[in-house]
Amino acid sequence: MLELYKKNSPAIHKLLSIMCGLAVWHVLATVIVADSSFLVSPLAVAAKSYEMLFQTAELYPHLLASSSIFFYGYLLSIAAGVPLGFLMALSPAVRDYVHPWMTTLYTTPRIAFAPVLLLWLGIGAGAKVAIVFLGCVFPILINSYYGMRVVNREFVELARSFRLTRLALFWKILLPASVPFILSGLRLALGRGLTGVAIAEWFGATEGLGYLIFFAGQTLNVPVLFVGVTAFALLGILGFEILRKVEEIATPWRKKLQT
Amino acid sequence: MAIPILELRNLGREVAGRGAEPFVIFNGINLTVRDGEFVSIVGPSGCGKTTLLRVINGLLSPSAGQIFVDGKEQNGADGELLMGFVFQGAALLPWRTSLNNVLLGLEGRKKNTPDAQAIARKYLDLVGLSGFEQHYPHELSGGMQQRVNLARALAVDPKILLMDEPFASLDAQTRSFMQLELLRIWSQTRKTVIFVTHMISEAILLSDRVVVLSHRPGRIRSEFPVPLPRPRDMEIKSDRRFVELENTVWKLIEEEVKAAGGFAKL
Ligand SMILES: Nc1ncnc2c1ncn2[C@@H]1O[C@H](COP(=O)(O)OP(=O)(O)OP(=O)(O)O)[C@@H](O)[C@H]1O
Ligand SMILES: [Mg+2]
Repeated sequence: MLELYKKNSPAIHKLLSIMCGLAVWHVLATVIVADSSFLVSPLAVAAKSYEMLFQTAELYPHLLASSSIFFYGYLLSIAAGVPLGFLMALSPAVRDYVHPWMTTLYTTPRIAFAPVLLLWLGIGAGAKVAIVFLGCVFPILINSYYGMRVVNREFVELARSFRLTRLALFWKILLPASVPFILSGLRLALGRGLTGVAIAEWFGATEGLGYLIFFAGQTLNVPVLFVGVTAFALLGILGFEILRKVEEIATPWRKKLQT
Repeated sequence: MAIPILELRNLGREVAGRGAEPFVIFNGINLTVRDGEFVSIVGPSGCGKTTLLRVINGLLSPSAGQIFVDGKEQNGADGELLMGFVFQGAALLPWRTSLNNVLLGLEGRKKNTPDAQAIARKYLDLVGLSGFEQHYPHELSGGMQQRVNLARALAVDPKILLMDEPFASLDAQTRSFMQLELLRIWSQTRKTVIFVTHMISEAILLSDRVVVLSHRPGRIRSEFPVPLPRPRDMEIKSDRRFVELENTVWKLIEEEVKAAGGFAKL
């Protein structure tokens, strides 16, 4: 028994933590608040989810809409952020040109852009993807830039002492050294991207989890509201797990460092 | 006399200082090194030893003077690969295994052929690390990391090996052991070595000649041939000539430190 615990202690700890959280939530909803127009028990959320997934199947279009907006926005951010970050790290001129925009846009609350983008791009997928993109691109850009800038000076000298070409310096030293930074940028971008989805769907959407939550809030449909929130949370967890797998594959040397 | 493998003529390096005056790190360095010679450079902290090695390797450009290898003047880091650099902090790439770290320099020259693999394995074996080819740096002890560092520099078969305090971060025991290992490896490869160290006994134990640099701006203060036979082992440290030389060099360095205004100013 103790053996079993020792071997799986992290998993057991996590499970216990989640169970406790759910229990507190349940007690809070049924005993303390005891008003289902404010808060419903996780059991009610589970029942509603089951219904929306397997009986009415009304959740799928929302899930699909939100995930695809997120997916495109996130991929576009990687495609733009990583190369631009690298260019900034490698060229002082690019750095000077991009830096003021980067800091301004990064610190402006994204929610302020949402109405403007919807005005320009309409309420189609384009505007929503753009909002997600704005949320994700800066953490990815900044981390890619920073990761390549702080590469150990000795590594660069090592490459030069071996007379490696500039191309080899990039592929063999700078790029692999930046990978952990890019991955943490991707992790930061995950949360910001999901927030972006919620914001985008808040404003004039007809489907999506953000719309579902917004609509449920308006109509005081608390169980559906919580189904939407839970779905977002689960998408986030799924994203984190995928990134963890990617990290394990891309940086096998770090696995043992962390444990 | 045969052409020396390395010749430094009036070498100097300065950088922009705080004021109008440039900051002279070292100047007027003249040094001639025979093929196969093991030369140590000692000197007070901050006298420019690391900078000197970087300039010799072409990683930094000299602000005065010339560097000749085999009689050919050197022009910075775009030239031929003639020297191997052993870094103070090992500088192993954490995402590469020992074997792939050693391969790095070979990849710069030829394709990653089985041939290069065999060479890398041979040098890992030479430094006593066969069986650790697939280990990542963080799975190796400090001493083992320095062995990989050395193997990596040796694998490109350089004419000259530049070593910057490679054992400085090791504990005393590992350090002594690595000194003996270096003696063994050197006797097997007979490379020309320029070895920078703070430790006078280490310099004497390893070298054919000890060069003492002065306090900033670094200049060659004095040179001492080491009159001790090879092969050497730790017992040689109690040899009368060893002790005398150690005292002489120590006094010189002490003078340099005093000239600099004491240890606190270093
Ligand atoms: N780019 C630079 N600008 C200003 N000063 C520099 C620069 N590079 C090196 N120095 C100075 O030059 C001196 C020599 O540095 P270097 O690292 O070569 O010394 P060192 O002899 O290797 O020292 P240590 O024994 O502590 O390793 C130091 O005082 C350092 O502060
Ligand atoms: Mg130094």
